[in-house]
Amino acid sequence: METGNDIASMQMMNGNEAVARGAFEAGVKVAAGYPGTPSTEVMEYTHQRYSDIYCEWATNEKVAVEVAIGASFAGYRSLALMKTVGLHVAADALGGAAGSQINGGLVLVVSDDVGRLAGDDYNDCRHYGNMFNIPVLEPSDSQDAKDLMVKAFEISEEYSTPVILKTTSVTCKTTSPVKIDENYTYEAKCRDKYPVSFSKVIMTTMMMKAKGSEHPKLTKCFNDFPAHMKRLAEDSNDAGFNKLELNGKKIGVITAGTPYYYAKEVLPEASFLKLGLVMPLPERKIRELAEHVDELYVIEDGHDVIEKNIKDLGISVIGKELWPKFPVMTRFTPDIIEEKLVPDAPKRTPQEGVPFRLPVSCAGCSHLFVSNVLKKHKIKAAADVTCGLIGCFPHMESYSLQKCMGSSISLAHGYNLAKENKENFVAMIGDGGFWATGINGLMNLIYNNGQSTVIIVDNNCLAMTGGQNVASSEFGFNYKPENKLEIAKVCEAVGVKDITTVDPYDIGSLEEAIVNAVNAKTNSVVIVQKPCVTKFKLPKDTPSYIDQEQCVQCRKCINVGCLAIESKKAKDGSVKIVINEDICTGCRLCSTVCHKEAIKN
Amino acid sequence: MQDTGKNIIIAGVGGQGILLFSNLLSKFYMKLGYELKISDVIGLGQRGGGVESHFRYSNKPVLSPFIKAGDVDFVISFEQTETLRYLHSLKEDGVVFSSTYELTSTSVNARLEKPMAECKTEMIKRSENKTFIIDPEEHKSPDFNISKMMNVVMLGYYAEFRGYSHDDMIQVVKDNVPAKFIEGNLKAYEKGAAIARAELATKESVSSNC
Ligand SMILES: Cc1ncc(C[n+]2csc(CCOP(=O)(O)OP(=O)(O)O)c2C)c(N)n1
Ligand code: SF4
Ligand code: SF4
Repeated sequence: METGNDIASMQMMNGNEAVARGAFEAGVKVAAGYPGTPSTEVMEYTHQRYSDIYCEWATNEKVAVEVAIGASFAGYRSLALMKTVGLHVAADALGGAAGSQINGGLVLVVSDDVGRLAGDDYNDCRHYGNMFNIPVLEPSDSQDAKDLMVKAFEISEEYSTPVILKTTSVTCKTTSPVKIDENYTYEAKCRDKYPVSFSKVIMTTMMMKAKGSEHPKLTKCFNDFPAHMKRLAEDSNDAGFNKLELNGKKIGVITAGTPYYYAKEVLPEASFLKLGLVMPLPERKIRELAEHVDELYVIEDGHDVIEKNIKDLGISVIGKELWPKFPVMTRFTPDIIEEKLVPDAPKRTPQEGVPFRLPVSCAGCSHLFVSNVLKKHKIKAAADVTCGLIGCFPHMESYSLQKCMGSSISLAHGYNLAKENKENFVAMIGDGGFWATGINGLMNLIYNNGQSTVIIVDNNCLAMTGGQNVASSEFGFNYKPENKLEIAKVCEAVGVKDITTVDPYDIGSLEEAIVNAVNAKTNSVVIVQKPCVTKFKLPKDTPSYIDQEQCVQCRKCINVGCLAIESKKAKDGSVKIVINEDICTGCRLCSTVCHKEAIKN
Repeated sequence: MQDTGKNIIIAGVGGQGILLFSNLLSKFYMKLGYELKISDVIGLGQRGGGVESHFRYSNKPVLSPFIKAGDVDFVISFEQTETLRYLHSLKEDGVVFSSTYELTSTSVNARLEKPMAECKTEMIKRSENKTFIIDPEEHKSPDFNISKMMNVVMLGYYAEFRGYSHDDMIQVVKDNVPAKFIEGNLKAYEKGAAIARAELATKESVSSNC
């Protein structure tokens, strides 16, 4: 086989590994980020494999981008990592960097959850490219991801601009071969070109020819970023990462990311323009393809960003009129393309009635204890973005409000002040959400005389994204015990009146703490302390079982929401509620809701 | 005839070691010099979700990371509700390998959906494809925990079915599993191969046309 000889330098990598490798080969010095599925592992691989690169999990994405901007101004190549919802948080920081002069290359690796596979909102980070006038690169496999990562830094320096490298849930989690130069030796790249770097305010002052704007003190800050983008657009017509493949004259496809491969497989005869740089666009190449073919399609995941930008050039293309986007479609698949462009392809219909799988909490999770106490006492509450938000699902109904990361404290505050504190609406938040932006909500609540109760589920990590460290964790890339922050102390310093810390497995105390806090006519915090059972592989107790003689199948225990409890159909067709002993941790929560004492150890 | 490549969907639920299974298989096919693309996209979030890996090897570069419905050669499934989810995507001569293990769908537990009325194993058997059903309950062993190691059992089974060299496959297992687990894994592997041998002896041999 062709690859036989250089197999030593070919490695199987998923997109996240390839991005990390690209950062290493680009000579990145500083990497700061905030976890988010599907791109979290970029940082983890970078830290594990490329110890030359300084890595940190920042408290939130805005902080991460600011750290990267600072390192870039110091002359060193730096990257910030986040998912697209995180870029919303960091947008202000990126807006400041956009249009200003760049010393060391500055690249934001941002991941879109195309297909909503991790359940997030339907976002597309490329809009930030349009808004801030900055380049966006989009790889279609792991090799591309590594190559474009290196390219991103070159573009950032050459055209003096921050660059977004957009990955997706598909590129991040797809493994394909990557060519590795075994002889590469790392060197942190440094470029100290501009002694000052102000945001584009200065530039616009000069462009508008404001009085005195020719002064050298101002001109040295001048960065004509629209001109740089024009130059990049022009240069991208000849760049290797935008590949024009002129084949058949009937169908032409302009595409980027993995949809390139879907389309290529379904339409082997078609002509293609595969964009590596999706913003700005290579106009000449697009026109060349348009001339060559009868029908021109745009096939892109996410929103119709490329499509709109091409239409703005006055070139007509077919895109979302054929493939209406969200909510009709969340992401492309080869099947979706085939259905529309290969009309006689055979159709397949899935088996009907196969039930979907709703995510559930791990057996023994502290969130389940909190959810069940809230439900038992009919306490209304807002959930944050945490593993505990599963309590919002219809079978649990512990939370009635849930928005973005770090929001629950302010959500509760807003609710309570509108209802004049008559309903004691509670906020539940994770330790991660608390440090990310929840702490701002708490400070706001205190000095505005709010009276809400906040339950902070401190499980020593960001569990939902796989257990990364936060400021109060007892581990982490840069962990030193003396630098660990204490949630209780910070709450106290901020001015919270009533603070209790409790172990959720002591369910009586948990109940008491929550009920007392809610009834106290003051602001209060209950810190629920238990490490995430899954991340820290907590020791298990004897598993519970259900005594079928005593069970009346009221299903109360199932609605506790524990993964270990199942309703199972026996061979004779009868249904039983059973506990899966491989999964059960023996935490005993379910037995507290059983009125028949059917659950035993 | 030389094998030019296959499209495989590996399915199951979280915690069944599907990533390890596809990882071991990828190491094996790499050694044979194939091009590969493996997509582990589904099943990122919490427990209780389904896991679906698209595994493609070929003697030409692989294009799409996802296999189109109708192009699947093998469905290898560790949970039978998940098997049913992918049956329709098999080629006419595609083959199903399915464990009878079942983890009730959380949406059924929560009564958001109805359980399926029919016996799933029977539904799978009835499909027009060739099916191989493995019941972990029937093959319990004191040497290893089959509920935890069904992935390696399945690997042995699959290798036997494909007529692969067990020595080569076992070497891949040895190279990629932590030392303290190797012994149990090898027992599990051999069990899988033995079940397949017995099964294949009773069915007509299909490995010749793969
Ligand atoms: C702005 C933003 N950044 C990142 C994420 C990804 N994310 C989802 S849950 C989560 C971790 C939550 O951790 P924590 O608040 O400690 O709750 P836990 O899951 O540990 O209970 C993260 C980082 C997000 N949803 N939004
Ligand atoms: S990962 Fe941890 S916090 Fe999340 S559901 Fe599982 S035990 Fe709970
Ligand atoms: S004791 Fe009950 S709630 Fe706790 S893990 Fe076992 S089944 Fe789940």
